[in-house]
Amino acid sequence: MDMKFRIRRFNPEAEEGKRKPYWQEFTLTGVEETDRILELLHRIKWEQDGTLTLRRACAHGICGSDAMRINGVNKLACKVLAKDVGEKVQIEPILGLPVLKDLVVDMEPFFAHYKSVLPYFINNSPEPERERLQTQHDRELYDDTTKCILCACCTTSCPSYWANGEYVGPAAIVQAHRFIFDTRDEGAQERLDVLADPNGVWRCRTIYNCTPACPRGIQVTRAIGEVKLAIVRGSPEGVITEGAGEIAVSNS
Amino acid sequence: MTSLVYTITETLRYRGAIGQWSWVLHRITGLGVLLFLVLHVIDTSWAVFYPELYVRAIASYQSPLFTLGEFGLVACVVYHAYNGFRIALIDLRPKWWKHQQRAAYVVLAATAITLVPVFILMFSHVLHFYEDSPQVLGLIDVLKEQLPFVAGIALAVIAAVLFSAVTGLILGDKGGHARKGSKLERFWWSFMRISGVLIIPLVFGHLAMMHILQGVFDITAQTTVVGTPYINESATAVEFVGNRWGYIVGGIFIWRVYDFALLVLVTIHGFNGLRYVLTDYTMNSNLFRRASVYLATIGAVVLLVVGGAALFSTVPAGAIEEAEREVQLIYGESAGADSETEVLPTPAETAEAASGG
Repeated sequence: MDMKFRIRRFNPEAEEGKRKPYWQEFTLTGVEETDRILELLHRIKWEQDGTLTLRRACAHGICGSDAMRINGVNKLACKVLAKDVGEKVQIEPILGLPVLKDLVVDMEPFFAHYKSVLPYFINNSPEPERERLQTQHDRELYDDTTKCILCACCTTSCPSYWANGEYVGPAAIVQAHRFIFDTRDEGAQERLDVLADPNGVWRCRTIYNCTPACPRGIQVTRAIGEVKLAIVRGSPEGVITEGAGEIAVSNS
Repeated sequence: MTSLVYTITETLRYRGAIGQWSWVLHRITGLGVLLFLVLHVIDTSWAVFYPELYVRAIASYQSPLFTLGEFGLVACVVYHAYNGFRIALIDLRPKWWKHQQRAAYVVLAATAITLVPVFILMFSHVLHFYEDSPQVLGLIDVLKEQLPFVAGIALAVIAAVLFSAVTGLILGDKGGHARKGSKLERFWWSFMRISGVLIIPLVFGHLAMMHILQGVFDITAQTTVVGTPYINESATAVEFVGNRWGYIVGGIFIWRVYDFALLVLVTIHGFNGLRYVLTDYTMNSNLFRRASVYLATIGAVVLLVVGGAALFSTVPAGAIEEAEREVQLIYGESAGADSETEVLPTPAETAEAASGG
């Protein structure tokens, strides 16, 4: 089948006065239904316009580097098939981060928020002889948020983040959630203090754009809600009574 | 400002699910209700402080423009209440997220279902009022009556920006920003949800009394005042308010307590909501971010002081006569002359009716 692409372009090196984002259309022939959007973008770059710029690495939905707005919604280009979008597709960079060139955005502000929530294991008590143990139930509580690949699909789908880049954003809260609700970790209070800031969890207006945007199926808004409740209660204890459920199924 | 424009255009372009539109509607309806709240609290306080102004305000409310606005107001309140309840519920139980999409549609459907009978009843009041070809204030006069509010709001905005500029000069760019480790935002988050849920029965009761069982037209009718056993003998808005606020059950001024609870909860909820909306889009500018906080504070304080003062005062003696004179002034001496178009009774007729009954 033939497929029409409408792509948002931006060239920072264009001469003065022409340095504005614009739309460009491409037509591809012989597209298979099962072709991924990422492959088709490659075809455009390789066969039609070598200047088309995008970011990708693993091309299998693991590295999280090819997040873009496909037909108005944030997706990973490597996880969307031609049959998912039909014969016309519109592709733009994700929102709320500075566009460097074409579909490539500056991820530094995103990673700065990620770092601000102390996204690493904190435990200063003496090391036990063997590993730190945890029950299956306790492991399930935060299983969902371990799946994050930092692609920024959720954060850049959030109207609160579009309005205000100082908002820490869904992805950083998901990453914080992964450690806050880990019973072996001792840094929960520190993270809750960071997220209790006006630009922490409170900018979340429970809009739910982030949840369907996540290519990993993480229940993002739920995770944010649980962090809010942990802040309100002053402790993560007892906030989550049951995990997201998927691990329970795969374990049994 | 660029932040607001960017968010609006991209919200229109991003194909988010229904939750995104629920959020847009929640903000619009919230701001709509807040705008009316400002007019309403200040207007109603005039029943005590400036009876003649209150008469003019109610005359405005009985004009077609405000009738249209009244339907919009009720729709805004109902949607905001239902959607707010959905948000409060899901924020309390994040694991119910799977139901949020359906819940958002249920909110829309429930709003529509509620509004059908409500609008029919409200419209029957409108029809009943226009049956007698009453005298209503012209559009220009109605708009003129609103000029003081436009001026007042503009003044509050200017004051907030000026105050923000001054604090910026004194404190540098730190003023108005919550300190690190501040628990303030956490308090507001809980307050919005708790107050929101408490407001729902209060505001629905208030709407039922003032817009459905009786309408704004009954405020100047010689009928029993809703929620009291008294009859509005003079058929003036001032006596209506006086009767309600004067009604005592078991030693308690029940409608004053009711109105005070509503005033405090709605004002603080509404202006904190305004702060949320404004600060979301002014984070890039220290000047306007601080000004947003000040504006919300000024608004809340003014409304609480004015509304509270009115609730703790009594309608002064002679206010009803003043109101009656004002009615004559607005609608002219001919108001009672033509018996066919007569709707607002002249004081003489009122006295007659009173002595007769």
